[in-house]
Amino acid sequence: MNTELIYLDHAAATPLDRRVLMAMQPYFSDEFYNPSSPYAPAVAVRRVYESAKHLIASQIGAKPGEIIITAGATESINLAFNDIDGHIIVPSAEHHSVLNCAKKLDATTVSVDKYGMVSADFIKAAIRPNTQLISVALANNELGTIQPLRDIAQVIKAERETRLLNDNKTPIYFHSDASQGVGQIDINVARLGVDMLTMNAGKIYGPKQVGLLWVASHVRLSPQIVGGGQERGIRSGTENVAGVVGFSRALELVNDHRKYESERLAKLRDSLQMVLVNTFDKAVVSGHPKHRLAGHLHISFPGIDGERLVFILENRGIMVATGSACAANKGTRSHVLTAIGLSDELSDGSIRITLGHLSTPENIKRAGEIMIEEIKREYKRVNK
Amino acid sequence: MALKTKVYVGMSGGVDSSLTAALLVEQGYDVTGVYMKNWTADLPGVRCPWADDLADAKRVAVKLGIDFKVFDFENEYRQKVVDYMIDEYKAGHTPNPDIMCNQEVKFKLFLDAALEDGADMIATGHYARTCHIKPVGCNNKADVNCHSITNVESATISSTNTCVGELLQAVDKNKDQTYFLYRVTGKALGKTLFPIGEFTKPTVRKMAAERGLWTATKKDSQGICFVGQIGIREFLGMYVNSKSGNVVDKISGKVLGHHDGAIFYTLGQRHGLELGGGLPYYVVGKDMAKNEVYVTTDLNDDTLWKKSIKLTNLHWINEMPINNCYQIRVRHRAQLINANLQLDKDIAYLELETPERAIAVGQSVVIYDGDVCVGGGIISI
Repeated sequence: MNTELIYLDHAAATPLDRRVLMAMQPYFSDEFYNPSSPYAPAVAVRRVYESAKHLIASQIGAKPGEIIITAGATESINLAFNDIDGHIIVPSAEHHSVLNCAKKLDATTVSVDKYGMVSADFIKAAIRPNTQLISVALANNELGTIQPLRDIAQVIKAERETRLLNDNKTPIYFHSDASQGVGQIDINVARLGVDMLTMNAGKIYGPKQVGLLWVASHVRLSPQIVGGGQERGIRSGTENVAGVVGFSRALELVNDHRKYESERLAKLRDSLQMVLVNTFDKAVVSGHPKHRLAGHLHISFPGIDGERLVFILENRGIMVATGSACAANKGTRSHVLTAIGLSDELSDGSIRITLGHLSTPENIKRAGEIMIEEIKREYKRVNK
Repeated sequence: MALKTKVYVGMSGGVDSSLTAALLVEQGYDVTGVYMKNWTADLPGVRCPWADDLADAKRVAVKLGIDFKVFDFENEYRQKVVDYMIDEYKAGHTPNPDIMCNQEVKFKLFLDAALEDGADMIATGHYARTCHIKPVGCNNKADVNCHSITNVESATISSTNTCVGELLQAVDKNKDQTYFLYRVTGKALGKTLFPIGEFTKPTVRKMAAERGLWTATKKDSQGICFVGQIGIREFLGMYVNSKSGNVVDKISGKVLGHHDGAIFYTLGQRHGLELGGGLPYYVVGKDMAKNEVYVTTDLNDDTLWKKSIKLTNLHWINEMPINNCYQIRVRHRAQLINANLQLDKDIAYLELETPERAIAVGQSVVIYDGDVCVGGGIISI
């Protein structure tokens, strides 16, 4: 990547780690065999595939047989929702892939607090005797707020007890979309207390269009893609060997450096947040002050158009995201910002900065200086 | 020091309107970019189609350092342009929503909203030219020679803002968009600038690239914007209950096959009839009540070629034409052909020098006097 460019949108996409690329490379051309073929070179590829899945499973405290490889998090989420026909519960600030799955079902949307955090009590209150699924992201993609999955898992556990007592045979599952947060948070399915977990290689310096759904053995699932019966018949299609090898290597790498990298990113993020907040006293940082992903900084500059700011920064070589467009296009405001009750003015003036591997003390310092210069200029233009 | 003329530029996110804004900035105008949010079909599960265009327009505005606004005309556009188009198709006509969009939205709603917001003038990226004349009685003399140079409007406010405008063909005769602009008023044109009408499309792209405009290589938009990705057939299918009916040979009266709704067929159309091999069939008529489409293999069929046209719903950009010899165009980019014009109150009769193919009811005929677009009307029976 051009070193003059400063990439601050790691929550959207991450560059493939060179070591991941190297691990994947043999399986595109030299070792191209179909893992289902009978001859030895193909069987060898099957073994590579299985051991890559094994490695992924061991990283999250799961069994290899519980992992369904998919073409990314969106497919995993759709799969998690595929067999549900009863009531479900989702928080209002979830990603669109969850909300759009929920739309097709009898769904209760629970509100989040001003930090975007879900309350286990709200979930508890929303549970009905026919509730089948509760889906809560590990961390919010816009704000970085980390959700109290363990508390919610306790609520669900209690509900299971109640159902046993009442002889209510309706199963209740807890799914979490962990697209954001892998590599910063310890992902152990047992400790998280979930029944299904979605993960995405493309957000952890692995390949895009590779994801997984971890499914606890007691969960009933039905396929949305049928065919040759791969992935235990839940997700047919020739195995993406290179993709899964890349996924396992990427997961291994982010986990190896998890503690170091989280602390490094938090420090850089805090330094950027500090200079921006100190310079612009009206700036508002959203997301939980403590329970927030290390690389996430969601910040609003009232009176500024966030989308315009994205393009201004783009011209200076800085890439950031905005969930919101200008005030005049109604309906395009981020539902997450609406969910946390952010005013229209703050929503419209917000950008999302997400740090990652490409962030260094030097480029974060430079990004801060450029942002201050451009935001000051923009305030001057707006107030002329 | 004179105050800079404030121009609101309709920016669609394409190369033409991007360069329009850039040129006006260079010419010293006080420029504001405006994205007109028009109506689009909301297709479930489909990524919002206009957001990318809006972002492109805004990106260019940021590059130029100009203010940028969004005007929301969704409801008005739906009523004036989309409903009109659907109704015309239902009536068996061949409507032109682009003409309606210019008449009702760009040069009425947008102009009014821009003036209301403090603009002195508007500009768009149309391939056309205007020249501004002080009205007769005020000075009785055009302040410019309209037929040689245009866009002499200075970037500072002139003493008069009551001038009217003439509509002239673009320099690029291949791209000229005056056909779509004939229902705009002279008064609106008096407050309008078309800076890129002076250039050819390749030059426009080159100039945009030279200025580092992001949209320099962006693909031209095709077809009707609000129909977007789905195509007119699918679009109409969402609003009209079409029934299958007979495709009838005009000469023999024999039923040749079936169609999926007469509404989808227009005069002169060749494709989509699926009548098997042999000579191609052309649509020569339809009966909406019977839901029948009439076809022929005879390319010289007299319904396909017409020399006389009757126009109603006339519109004149400035004064009514007083002569008889004009040039006309029956569709966008068609060759200009000589025609004799006879006016009878609200009806115009045109006698063409050479016959024109596939003149369908509902289509517009636009009348020119050399480079000047005089106005036109809508073909009726």
